[in-house]
Amino acid sequence: MEQAVFYLFAAILLFAATMVITVRNPVQAALFLVLAFFNAAVLWVLAGAEFLGIALVVVYVGAVMVLFLFVVMMLDITVAPVREGFARYLPVGLVVAVLMALQLGVVILSDEVALVGGLIPEPAADVNNIRAIGGVLYTVYVYPFEIAAVILLVAIIAAITLTLRRRTNMKHQDIPEQLNVHKDDRLRVLKMETERRPDRGGVGHEEG
Amino acid sequence: MIELSHYLILAALLFSLGVAGIFLNRKNVILLLMCVELILLAVNINLIGFSTYMGDIAGQVFVFFILTVAAAEAAIGLAIVVVLFRSRGDINVAALDAMRG
Amino acid sequence: MLENYLPVLLFILVGLVFGVVPLLAGFVLGPRRPGAEKQSPYECGFEAFEDSRMKFDVRYYLVAILFIIFDLEIAFLFPWAVVLDDIGLFGILAMGLFVGLLLVGFLYEWKKGALEWE
Repeated sequence: MEQAVFYLFAAILLFAATMVITVRNPVQAALFLVLAFFNAAVLWVLAGAEFLGIALVVVYVGAVMVLFLFVVMMLDITVAPVREGFARYLPVGLVVAVLMALQLGVVILSDEVALVGGLIPEPAADVNNIRAIGGVLYTVYVYPFEIAAVILLVAIIAAITLTLRRRTNMKHQDIPEQLNVHKDDRLRVLKMETERRPDRGGVGHEEG
Repeated sequence: MIELSHYLILAALLFSLGVAGIFLNRKNVILLLMCVELILLAVNINLIGFSTYMGDIAGQVFVFFILTVAAAEAAIGLAIVVVLFRSRGDINVAALDAMRG
Repeated sequence: MLENYLPVLLFILVGLVFGVVPLLAGFVLGPRRPGAEKQSPYECGFEAFEDSRMKFDVRYYLVAILFIIFDLEIAFLFPWAVVLDDIGLFGILAMGLFVGLLLVGFLYEWKKGALEWE
């Protein structure tokens, strides 16, 4: 049963990954990447990493891929020129990919590493994955944990400084300013002498 | 019960697909970032497989940090793409030769 | 432990069936008599003016980035809340520093006006 689930979702994962790198439309590539993340989450849960499976769905599918989709929709890229050179680089890419897969396969399947046949143990019923992670994350790994906060802070500041631009030509309301306005700011009462209108006084009364 | 080597082979194939994707999509920065995400996913699968196999939770903690850093990386990388598109009008990698000597 | 996930698996499968079967039924059972007029793009009686894909504003992107950051913060808070009884004061201080750093980022984006929609 577990093996069947593993093979099913692993096959979908590899299919989705293949589509990500070959499909023509960036929007479709992003959606296939979402499918790949979902399947990876299932495989992680199957390996006993329940919390990370959920975190992958929440953080990656829920946030990062939405960001990718926003950018793809925002930039309005035409599909055709982006794919030029696809056929030219296909052989190189294939050769590199196959070579790399073979190398990794040789390492994994070699006798010296002795990984073949090692079974991933069934998670015990009383093991709480979140409790296990939390137990070390905030004590043993507290230093990387705080560094993660710094990295997130850097990401916030970098994203804002890079993309935020004030629109100077827009007229927008500033509600506190509207509420705090005082009569003196808008109205100026001038004290001045009354003036005689020259056309009424008659020509003879004109001075000078 | 699934063998550890199955997870490793899956991760190796996924990694190779990601590397091939970098070769195939070398025009489009967004697709390059997506391929990097694929590669990171393969690495994370490896780490989680070993974490459960060895019974050491540290691998999963590490994956969590990788997720954090990768999310920050995607945020900043896409911000750079947006700025690039705003100033140059397209995101073709081949056109980024402003600093060519 | 994995038996607990059987309902989730069944849910995924049922969801797939619910999604795919109506599409397939429409594909197989529906009559298909395409014509030039039927297949042309439709825009309220006019010829279509432009591409149906519309550019998004950059401001959505900023909101999405800030969502990612605080989504991750929640992901870090979740195991913390589960184990808080075991790690005690040290855990509270560690999370206090974490949240404090992100609070600095939050105040920065607030003061910069990144949250204002205009």
